[in-house]
Amino acid sequence: MSVSALSRARPVIRRGQASRFPPTVVASFAVLALVLLWSLVPTLFTGQDPARGVPADKFLGPSTAHWFGTDHLGRDLFARVVHGTASSVTSALVAVGIGVLVGGLIGLIAGFVGGWVDAVLARLVDVLLAIPSFLLAVVVVSSLGFETINAAIATGVSAVGVFARVMRSEVLKTRRAVFVEASYLQGGSRWHILVRHVLPNASRSVLMLAVLQFGLSILIIAGLAFLGYGDPPPASDWGLLISIGKDYPLAQWLVYAPALVTIATVLSVNRISRWLRKTD
Amino acid sequence: MKTSRAARRVRPPGRTLRMIVGLATVVALAACGPGVAANTGGSGEPRSGGDITFLIDSLGDTWIPNNSAISSFQGHIWGHLTDKLVYVDEKGEVSPWIAESWEQNTTATEFTLHLRKGVTFSDKTPVDAAAVLANLDIWAKGDATRGINPIGLFPKTYDHAEVVDPATVKVFFKAPTLGFIPTLGYHGSILVSPKTIALPAAQQADLANDLGSGPFVLSSWKEGDSVVLKKREDYNWAPAALKHQGAAYLDSITYKLVAQPSVRTSAVQSGQADVAYNPSPQELKSFSDQGFTTATPRYLGFVNGFAVNTRIAPFDDVKVRQALQHGIDRKEIISTVYTEDWLAPQSLFQSNVPGATDHSADFAFDAAKSDGLLDEAGWVKGADGVRAKDGKPLELMLYANPYLATSKSVDELIAQQLGKIGFKVNIQAFDVVTYGERVKIGSPSVAAYEVTRSFIDAGIVAGVLTDANKGENWFGLGQTDQKLVQLASSVASAESVDARAPLLDELQGHVLQQGYFVPLTQIVQRIYLQSPKLQGVSYNGIAYANYYAAWLG
Amino acid sequence: MNRDYARYALRRVLQAIVVILLAYVFTFVVISVLPGDPVTNTLRNPQNGFTEEEIARIVSYYGLDRPVYEQLWDSLSRLLVGDLGISLRSGLPVGRLIGDVLGSTLLLAGSALVVALVLAFAIGFGTRYLPKRYGQGLLRAFPSLFLSVPNFVIGLVLINVFAFQLGLFRVIDSEGGLATFFAAIALGIPVSAQVAEVLIANLDHEAGQEYASVARSRGLGQTGLFLRHLLKPSALPVVTVVALTVGELLGGAVITEQIFGRTGIGSLVERSVTTQDLPVLQAVVTLAAVIFVVVNLVADLAYPLLDPRVRLGGAKPRDKAEVAR
Repeated sequence: MSVSALSRARPVIRRGQASRFPPTVVASFAVLALVLLWSLVPTLFTGQDPARGVPADKFLGPSTAHWFGTDHLGRDLFARVVHGTASSVTSALVAVGIGVLVGGLIGLIAGFVGGWVDAVLARLVDVLLAIPSFLLAVVVVSSLGFETINAAIATGVSAVGVFARVMRSEVLKTRRAVFVEASYLQGGSRWHILVRHVLPNASRSVLMLAVLQFGLSILIIAGLAFLGYGDPPPASDWGLLISIGKDYPLAQWLVYAPALVTIATVLSVNRISRWLRKTD
Repeated sequence: MKTSRAARRVRPPGRTLRMIVGLATVVALAACGPGVAANTGGSGEPRSGGDITFLIDSLGDTWIPNNSAISSFQGHIWGHLTDKLVYVDEKGEVSPWIAESWEQNTTATEFTLHLRKGVTFSDKTPVDAAAVLANLDIWAKGDATRGINPIGLFPKTYDHAEVVDPATVKVFFKAPTLGFIPTLGYHGSILVSPKTIALPAAQQADLANDLGSGPFVLSSWKEGDSVVLKKREDYNWAPAALKHQGAAYLDSITYKLVAQPSVRTSAVQSGQADVAYNPSPQELKSFSDQGFTTATPRYLGFVNGFAVNTRIAPFDDVKVRQALQHGIDRKEIISTVYTEDWLAPQSLFQSNVPGATDHSADFAFDAAKSDGLLDEAGWVKGADGVRAKDGKPLELMLYANPYLATSKSVDELIAQQLGKIGFKVNIQAFDVVTYGERVKIGSPSVAAYEVTRSFIDAGIVAGVLTDANKGENWFGLGQTDQKLVQLASSVASAESVDARAPLLDELQGHVLQQGYFVPLTQIVQRIYLQSPKLQGVSYNGIAYANYYAAWLG
Repeated sequence: MNRDYARYALRRVLQAIVVILLAYVFTFVVISVLPGDPVTNTLRNPQNGFTEEEIARIVSYYGLDRPVYEQLWDSLSRLLVGDLGISLRSGLPVGRLIGDVLGSTLLLAGSALVVALVLAFAIGFGTRYLPKRYGQGLLRAFPSLFLSVPNFVIGLVLINVFAFQLGLFRVIDSEGGLATFFAAIALGIPVSAQVAEVLIANLDHEAGQEYASVARSRGLGQTGLFLRHLLKPSALPVVTVVALTVGELLGGAVITEQIFGRTGIGSLVERSVTTQDLPVLQAVVTLAAVIFVVVNLVADLAYPLLDPRVRLGGAKPRDKAEVAR
């Protein structure tokens, strides 16, 4: 999990020096826009069928006809990458969603209610944090069954602890803040304070963590797919593509093409997350 | 089995490597490490000495002999640590080994085994009648109170065995069991010391406690990592079929676990190891072009294919089953997923099984015929190309077999092929555990069970095709198909191989004509990529590589 | 050592023990959710052709047909006397399985940590003192890049280049020095990114502090400044981060060990997961939790002793790191 959140605690010196939109950030948004389009309207980008190939055309290297080459069944790899985007993106979103919702709720309750509830939840969160997140994801996915959606859930579960921690500390910080205490004194209800002050203040940190977690989830889910814990064929999530491709060392593009797409996406997400922190 | 040795002029692995990766200068220095420099691929006389490394994708689970002997992984190690009573070669031919000779009564219910004298386990205790008796009992019955399985496929008609004298054992069966002698050469039937058999399961699980009488003994092992075997100097009871006597040529064999197939093959290519197990079939050709030896031995058994559950609609209709058979282009499977080393099926048995006959016409690829059959059966093609009847689409779920690495690719190809004749094929792939739980023969959700099963004797069919005598009931027919029941039981009770042959032929024809079984390809479950220096390797009836008579050239 | 500190330490130790026990139970519950175990699995291998009856007989020997809570109670009471049980997959005692491979993983994780620290400090130093035209700015992007590459891709590339193209190490000798070194790089790179990020942020912060400018005006050399005035104050947050990444090293070992063909805790997990070998998974997960908890406990307990600015009571030292991970 990212420690970058820690560095946020310190003021960043170069704040405001660069223009509002550095070129790398623009490029990152462009990459993410492309990824988004791939997942929404894949057919706009490729006319080839990701599941059906021409067996005689197997293992063709990258060319103008097949940008990323073809795989062991003669399927166009670019088409498979593009069509696999939706699943890769959604599963990462599911993972983040679980982390935000479950973790956020636990953190919120713990921080807001306090007392023994906080103590009990704190131990639960401690357990989730004490088990290495990838190990936790592996164990959970093995219990749920080896499918991409389960890998996403497992990844989400492994992120619950972090979100809970951040949420709790943000809630505590806000609760102690002067304006909240003032509001309390003015007779605002607990509910009102929660919705009006605590949540909006806390959600900022949670949002930034979520962006970061999105990139990380793509990597973790890809790692699980690499170990074979993903959807059955002909699914073409990026992690699965890398995992299948690695078995054919003579056709290296089968690994490098989906790997580069994955790296570009995660890199863009990380860049944007950093930029968000700076403009905070 | 087929071993292709492509190169006349064998290139040293060092050069091959360069070709693949490019970085020429460094490679020449680095890859020609010790042992790689010799570039004669080899003829010449066998010579003693040398160590080989065998890279394997898994070392399986437990080492309790009974629970692991049939494993596609541990089987390699057991084959060198232990001996068997008889030897079965790749053509299914049975020849003497520890049992020098044997007789049976006319009804094939009593067998007498005469044992070779002077054979000892690695702790020097004799392999005598008492030891064989202990092994027979544990193979047949296992020991549930100690968590020890029986051997799968050991004849369930086993009654008991008796020691006649130290070199003679008599074995009794409740019913005719023609398959008994061949089964003794099956990978499950390994002879281990009675001392080992008497140990509790947790101690049998330690390979160091498992003593055999084979040409190699354990040197060291590390769970989930490696097993090192060294030759036994006083070994002198090899089967005549292996054409070598005395101690093995090789000093040691190291089985090293390397999970990634590409790492295994690259290691052999770069001369870091001698054998890579289970390389991807599609890459075999490029390896043999580079001068490496590739071996794709077939085991005796069923071909890779689908056992169709006739209780599940629409496969209760013989026309739909036949459409399935004729809708699969086996040539395309072989040329896409495999290489020409793979053979098209001729029957539900591999063609090297004694008694297998050619029925390929009954299920030959003919898409037009399939279309016709489905039309006749009332399945109408919709706008999306999927056929439907009474509002239900023509669907088939395939469960990729986790025990066969190529299964997913084959299923994906079949999905495309059947798609053309109007099937909507979905694929589900489970890990081994989930597969074992969810994909069972006869389960109402499994219309087509992908069979990968080796056997030593075709008589096994009697126990799988119907549910008579607690049979596995592969086609969900129970005993409704009278002809099948009758054929299966007469195959089971046949008292001689000659009397059985016509029955087996008729049975194969019936099963295939009724579309109960859909053959895909003859199966090669064990594939080897090997350094050209390594020679004299033999493959037995269950396709395990045997390095007893192998040497480094 | 005052009484406050003693009470604080005691509370943290007790919490740690509770967390470890909970991790043990947690794993049991998660794995038991789904049916399936290695014993049944071996029996169900289609090569065997066993009947359900035969399977049931063996399964009952292992007690796998008993109610889940009884099995949990058993495993807990075993744990309390230090018995980790028998692996259902291999039939060997779990303690022995783990003992055999623990050293290899610790060596890998330890080397990876060293690699990560060296890389992180090199990057940190570079971002301050590498001339701009030699890519100082680019260096700042490194942590981000390292965090974006799947670690199995790093592993595959390293093996391909260094083992097969350059022949620097032999994959079959996976425990050898160079093989371990490259495996450690694959495992250490993502971790180095996290350490580097924290380090850079702290260096930036410290460099902006008054005393740094004072030191600079006094003519202290660049390296001296870096070491004495920038690095030292940055070290504490780095210690915290390193403690937190211990878990990551253990988790990452699952993939790294598999790629490099190493034996270790990670590959043991990988094998146990595919067969749902409950006793082994329970033990490994708990072990990972123990290591994580102990390392962080030590870091936490050491924190107030190292940095007088951290006072007990109001803000737990832990809060500093809470946002992390």
